[in-house]
Amino acid sequence: MKSTRCLLQLLRSGRTAARISELLLSPATSRLSVLHNQQQQALRHFHCSPASAKIRPVPARSVDEDKTNSTKSLATQEDLFEQVPEESKTKATFNQVIDVFTKRDIRRRGHVEFIYAALKKMSEFGVEKDLSVYNKLLDVFPKEVFVPRNYIQRMFNHYPRQQECGVQILEQMESYGIMPNVETKVLLVQIFGEKSHPVRKYQRIMYWFPRFKHVNPFPVPQPLPEDPVDLARLSLTRIANDLDSKITVYQLPCTDITESGEEIQLPHIVGIQSPSQMELLAKHNPNKPVFVEGPFPLWLRKTCVYYYVLRADPTPPEEKEEEVYDPERCFDYPLQLDLDLDRDLGDDESFDVDDLDEGPVFAMCMTSQGDQVTLNQWISGLQQNNPILGKVPTLFRLDAGIQELQAAAQPEPGHSHPPHPETQREDPQSDEDPEAVEEEESRRSHGMKQ
Amino acid sequence: MMNVNGFLAVARRLPRGKSALSCHAWDLGRQALRLQQRRTIRTHSRSLAYAKDLFLGQINKAEVFPYPEIGNEELEEIKQFVAPVEKFFSEEVDSAKIDKEAKIPAETLNGLKELGLFGIMIPEEYGGLGLSNTMYARLNEIIALDGSIAVTLAAHQAIGLKGILIAGNEAQKKKYLPKLASGEHVAAFCLTEPGSGSDAASIQTRATLSEDGKHYLINGSKIWISNGGFADIMTVFARTQVEVDGVKKDKITAFIVEKAFGGITSGPPEDKLGIRGSYTCEVSFDNVPVPVENVIGDVGGGFKVAMNILNSGRFSMGSSCAGMIKKLMELTSEYAATRKQFNRSLSEFGMIQEKFALMAINAFVMESMAYLTAGMMDRPGLPDCSLEAAMVKVFSSEGGWICCSEALQVLGGLGYTKNYPFERYVRDSRILPIFEGTNEILRMYVALTGMQYAGKVLTGKIKEMKKGNIFLAVNMAGRKLRTSLGASEDLGLTGKDGVVHRSLAESAKQLEQNVSLFGSTVESLLYRYGKSIVDEQLVLKRVADILINLYAMTAVLSRASRSISIGLRNHDHEVLLANTFCNDVFFKNNYLMVQLQKHAPENNDANIKKIAKAVLENRSYICSHPLERTY
Repeated sequence: MKSTRCLLQLLRSGRTAARISELLLSPATSRLSVLHNQQQQALRHFHCSPASAKIRPVPARSVDEDKTNSTKSLATQEDLFEQVPEESKTKATFNQVIDVFTKRDIRRRGHVEFIYAALKKMSEFGVEKDLSVYNKLLDVFPKEVFVPRNYIQRMFNHYPRQQECGVQILEQMESYGIMPNVETKVLLVQIFGEKSHPVRKYQRIMYWFPRFKHVNPFPVPQPLPEDPVDLARLSLTRIANDLDSKITVYQLPCTDITESGEEIQLPHIVGIQSPSQMELLAKHNPNKPVFVEGPFPLWLRKTCVYYYVLRADPTPPEEKEEEVYDPERCFDYPLQLDLDLDRDLGDDESFDVDDLDEGPVFAMCMTSQGDQVTLNQWISGLQQNNPILGKVPTLFRLDAGIQELQAAAQPEPGHSHPPHPETQREDPQSDEDPEAVEEEESRRSHGMKQ
Repeated sequence: MMNVNGFLAVARRLPRGKSALSCHAWDLGRQALRLQQRRTIRTHSRSLAYAKDLFLGQINKAEVFPYPEIGNEELEEIKQFVAPVEKFFSEEVDSAKIDKEAKIPAETLNGLKELGLFGIMIPEEYGGLGLSNTMYARLNEIIALDGSIAVTLAAHQAIGLKGILIAGNEAQKKKYLPKLASGEHVAAFCLTEPGSGSDAASIQTRATLSEDGKHYLINGSKIWISNGGFADIMTVFARTQVEVDGVKKDKITAFIVEKAFGGITSGPPEDKLGIRGSYTCEVSFDNVPVPVENVIGDVGGGFKVAMNILNSGRFSMGSSCAGMIKKLMELTSEYAATRKQFNRSLSEFGMIQEKFALMAINAFVMESMAYLTAGMMDRPGLPDCSLEAAMVKVFSSEGGWICCSEALQVLGGLGYTKNYPFERYVRDSRILPIFEGTNEILRMYVALTGMQYAGKVLTGKIKEMKKGNIFLAVNMAGRKLRTSLGASEDLGLTGKDGVVHRSLAESAKQLEQNVSLFGSTVESLLYRYGKSIVDEQLVLKRVADILINLYAMTAVLSRASRSISIGLRNHDHEVLLANTFCNDVFFKNNYLMVQLQKHAPENNDANIKKIAKAVLENRSYICSHPLERTY
């Protein structure tokens, strides 16, 4: 089924279909296509056999080649991207650059370098998570040229540079978590052949990615909600992980104008409490204080939010009341047996764990402004359903330091991404011979990840 | 009419030997005589019933063999009662109408009252019929033909007035029972509350003593009260403050509350799936003044009263279900014999035949269990048959539900329409596993009560084993080796002192084998879990199932043996039913006991718990849809 789908896709993609139809149907263009074929043959001939590639390292030769071409060097491939002005770096312009490259030369000379350059620049254009762009990038490779045509070619590493470049594209997709699709596969098969390294890499990705896709039982939604109240709602349910707990919005963010004409930003206050927490709070000894503590950080992908908890110290062991067994509790059957036998060791499946009583947490909240006044508002809101809070002393134990951090963190928008670690690592080396570095880089990852 | 219990005792002593002799069942008769003698000696000290001993791997055959009988006079008497009741139910009661209008017509209720069915078990001195448990069970067979009437009557006398009957004082009995027996007053039982099913601690209804100390004021509300809409006398359970050893504690107390006291309001009837004619509603009490003399038993002693009432009412469900199934078999077999498909009548098809066999076996087993239990309860002394009664309830309620649905299946689509009574029976019988203690709770009761008893006996032995007593271990290993080599267990059902007829010998052997294996299984469970077995509900469920099966096997063996020995009509069919049932259940028991062994591969418990945990944590089915894809 897979292969038929690939074939269908092949036909749909039209390129080969067009070529086939050219060959078969139109005598007028047949000369052209023959010429085209000849060109390909020539190209193939020029690149010669793997044996010679072994003797003469590919990068050196391709640099030579570029020099003989005398107009373009590797640097110019990056230039293509750098010619785009900073403010118009979008998917459309990125695609345009690719189009420019593919149309410039029927032989696609220097396409490996171009692809490496493009991979580096993708995050700048904000297309590093776009599957269609990766496919378009793969499309830059000339088709059917690198497919091994006999068993000797198949045995040896046929066109290693190109294959490594193909693998590199897939690696980058992998590191951004982009799942290739059938089009990717068709392209790879067209370019490198059925059992080439990039196709193997593709198969490995397709083996692992679907398995890992839902491995996180608590997925963070993509994209995160913009509204701070919705974000707080999401974060609090995520921390509480209790289907019974109820979210209460104590205050919506709004701007108020005081009598003196001053404008005040009222912060949002969103709290969460479950019935069992209410029960615990109701049982709390009113002579002991409860604490409002925070802020504690919670990371949601690249956004950090802060929350506050209402908690108490654990009840000391001497104050704990053990529930006494009442034989007149259940009308229908005994709840406990009056036996002097304990569970046998062989059936005791409990672990020996040192229990540490951390004390109960009664409620949590999130607010954009973690000062005592705001949090007091939360506590008085809680008091409506938990009357005991009126009798219990409430202490505020707030860390001041993080306030500033929070303020500093806030302007950072959720979707501006720090540079990709891979590129970060490469940057300091960029003044060396870039191609050699890339070569080594890709080979290493090739060996490690594939 | 004379006191039935006394009569029963006399009847048992006199004609037994003769009837057995006349039927040429020599060995059985001799055995019965010997049992008789033994029983008369320890009549009043009898505290053990049959089921508990099974947990020790013993068959207390004196308790269940021979099958209990009633005397000839009593039999005549019951026949006199049964005939008019049967006539009334077949001619006057329109069950379809009751179901449709969700109300029992007044004239039907009056007819029931005239027949005395509102006071079947109330002694004659208080104006009731004063019948024994056995006769009550017999009448219930007929009453059960209409689920709504059966539930109304059961709520009235099996639980509603039972409190006065078993724990009330003379004055209370004199005051209330006559009117209840005649049906002038209807009783209801008010225990369940919105937040309390079996949990006594969460009962919220409160009774506070008034300042003059003459009245209790009851406040609170009770739900799912059968007869709640029109009951005049209610047994109400409420929390009262009692001083125990100088500490004030809340304890449950039972009260007789008359509707005439005022302050009682009942809600609209619940719209139910089945038993629609019974009036089930919420009852609220608002400062209802109840005189102090209306306390049943002692103040603070309501828990025991409630438990005794609940435990005593259950045995009759066996005969009720059997009556229902017998009726259904008549109706369906008529259809199966006349309906033709492919030029063959439906009754020729194996799968249809299977359903009838199932119904016959179920009815036979239920009857046997119900009347065995009723007979045990009728014996002099104060036998504790609550375990047996609970087992009868569990077995018959589940069997009843299955049989009703199979009977409907025979008719196919026709059965699903309201033109036939089958859909009503299916709806009505769905309540059986739920009320009078859900089957889950009763299984816990059965298994835990037995485990408690066995644990008391076996604690010393198990402790010795855990200490590493070589002698015991060798002894145990020897026994295991013997049984595994095929030595059959002999618990005395067959052979020289046997009580089971020869044609049932094989089934009796199977029962013996099951019982002895059950004994050692219980021992190993106690060894493994000790008192923490209360938390192993899946284990307890299997223990209860095995015990129910064992009791059912005993009942059919005992009944069929008696039938052969006295030559009842069609006793060969009984033997066939008994052997079929025992053979079937023998393998089921063995499977269950294998499951109870440690790390048995058949035991899926860990997986079951895991699955349930995943579902319950997410409160939904968590698998992805089969059409979902990941790429």
